[in-house]
Amino acid sequence: MNRLIALVKREFWENKGAFRTTPLVIGGIYIVLILMFLVTFNHFDNEFQSLKELTRFLSQTEVGLRSEVIYGITVAVFPGLFTLALAFVVFFYLLGSLYDDRKDRSILFWKSLPASDTLTLGSKLLAAMVVAPLIFWVIYVLTYVVITLIFSVVVLSLGENPWTLFLSLGSPFKAWSMVLLSYLAQSVWALPLYGWLMLVSSFAPRIPLLFAVLPPVVVAVLQIWIEFLQTFTLKKNLFGVIGEWFANSPLILSADDHGDNKLEVSLGIPLTDTFGHEATVANIFDRLFSTHMLIGLAVAAVFLGAALWLRRRATES
Amino acid sequence: MNNVIEAHGLTKRYKGTVAVDNIDLHIPSGRIVGLIGPNGAGKTTALKAILGLANYEGELSVLGKNPAKDRAALMEDVCFIADVAVLPRWIKVWQLIELTENIHPRFSREKCLQYLKSTKITLDHRVKQLSKGMVVQLHLAIVMAIDVKLLVLDEPTLGLDILFRKQFYTNLLNDYFDEERTIIITTHQVEEIEHILSDLIFIQDGRIALDCSMEEVQESYVELIVAPDKAAAARDLQPLYERELFGRFIFLYKNSNREQLKTLGELHTPSVADLFVATMNGGAA
Repeated sequence: MNRLIALVKREFWENKGAFRTTPLVIGGIYIVLILMFLVTFNHFDNEFQSLKELTRFLSQTEVGLRSEVIYGITVAVFPGLFTLALAFVVFFYLLGSLYDDRKDRSILFWKSLPASDTLTLGSKLLAAMVVAPLIFWVIYVLTYVVITLIFSVVVLSLGENPWTLFLSLGSPFKAWSMVLLSYLAQSVWALPLYGWLMLVSSFAPRIPLLFAVLPPVVVAVLQIWIEFLQTFTLKKNLFGVIGEWFANSPLILSADDHGDNKLEVSLGIPLTDTFGHEATVANIFDRLFSTHMLIGLAVAAVFLGAALWLRRRATES
Repeated sequence: MNNVIEAHGLTKRYKGTVAVDNIDLHIPSGRIVGLIGPNGAGKTTALKAILGLANYEGELSVLGKNPAKDRAALMEDVCFIADVAVLPRWIKVWQLIELTENIHPRFSREKCLQYLKSTKITLDHRVKQLSKGMVVQLHLAIVMAIDVKLLVLDEPTLGLDILFRKQFYTNLLNDYFDEERTIIITTHQVEEIEHILSDLIFIQDGRIALDCSMEEVQESYVELIVAPDKAAAARDLQPLYERELFGRFIFLYKNSNREQLKTLGELHTPSVADLFVATMNGGAA
């Protein structure tokens, strides 16, 4: 256990920039943008006159709707940049996870430590599945709190009550928990991809990105071509399967106005009706305990097993 | 089962070529073994098999374990430095120490810091900020602070200046080595290690060309230096090798009559380097 923790720590040290600085920069950008917005307002509009009007207008909107909108912003809109950046960070982290130390030959040092290849692989997967999402989530929550504080101070200074205006609405704790749950669920849902990236990382002689992208593209193009020649129709191909897989992701990706003054927060991209779209705990678990997930886990196991096999032989030549 | 390393018919093939060809090794504990051979002779390949870094054919047991299967467990009792300094470039010295401490049950932080004290390396240095020599110093400080039964050093002092190389071998012998430990060293700078070695193994073309203790070298091998007029007589006594130096002839003999040789000229114990050259050029064994 100590060894696993030490190895996970090592992953964090090596990837501090991606794991910690990236979300900090995003949080910083949010805060700076909001401060700039306030300064700009003050510049053109002394005493925040129009902001005051806006606040007064907001305070007169219906509480239920206001609460829903705030929840939607907290759970779907605000974390958007964090989620996007997290996906990029994890993608490139895994792509380099078993490649970088082969390239600079430090793999010989890592292999001189009494840590098994399984443990090493596990620590890298754990960093991608839990450590990175957790850090992004913590910084998302902190940024949210800071921004809420800024708004509270502004609203207070305008003579309105921030508590009744927004602080007591939108169930932030529920929203934060939902975001965390959806991040962790996504870590499981995306395991076939993570396994593939680690597999590529364990054998690519150079440019792992190319080796990660090219094979599925070739397969899909061949599929499309053969289908087309045989039947003059376009049936499902690898692109479709992968696309659908990520459309069905348990990530909270959007909040839409449903017309009847209702806001729906959705999971993934609502392309098919395989799973419920509404961002609820039940719908997240529905995905995790589906046959789809079972197949996905089997695929991931094959990829990860192959990655481990190759890792054991990485020092052969 | 006193031998630290026990190999029978150890063989390693790479796509058609045989890098290690059916070798037997028996290395007992408490020895300092010099593994010496020309480039591409199979030294590193043999070491990789011993360290669980490559698969092999034949039987191999290191400290009673199968290195191909139990690398992680084996590494609790074995430490190695590969032929080039391969510490990760991004890591900071304190991180490296903390990591090793948490992963290696037999690492002593105090010892490591003590070794580092004699260098210019600080805890906040990143490996990539260090010079090549300093990286080696750091790696050696880490390795020497780990209490293992077998230490494998593959060209450990490459890129180090002569002062540090001398210092390193002195430390290795005085502070590190004891009866319980075994050290295997490969290096091209044979002269620097010959006085600390207890055993000698020459490898040529994947085979063992010579495997004996230093005492055996002194007992069995002798070098005779003769003037040109005695050269023919010396040549008749079946030397293993001859060379010419400053107009005099030097012959290497194995298990020959020293009294008889003495009448022809001066006798010397051959240096490891000379023995090596002779072996590689004609087979002293």
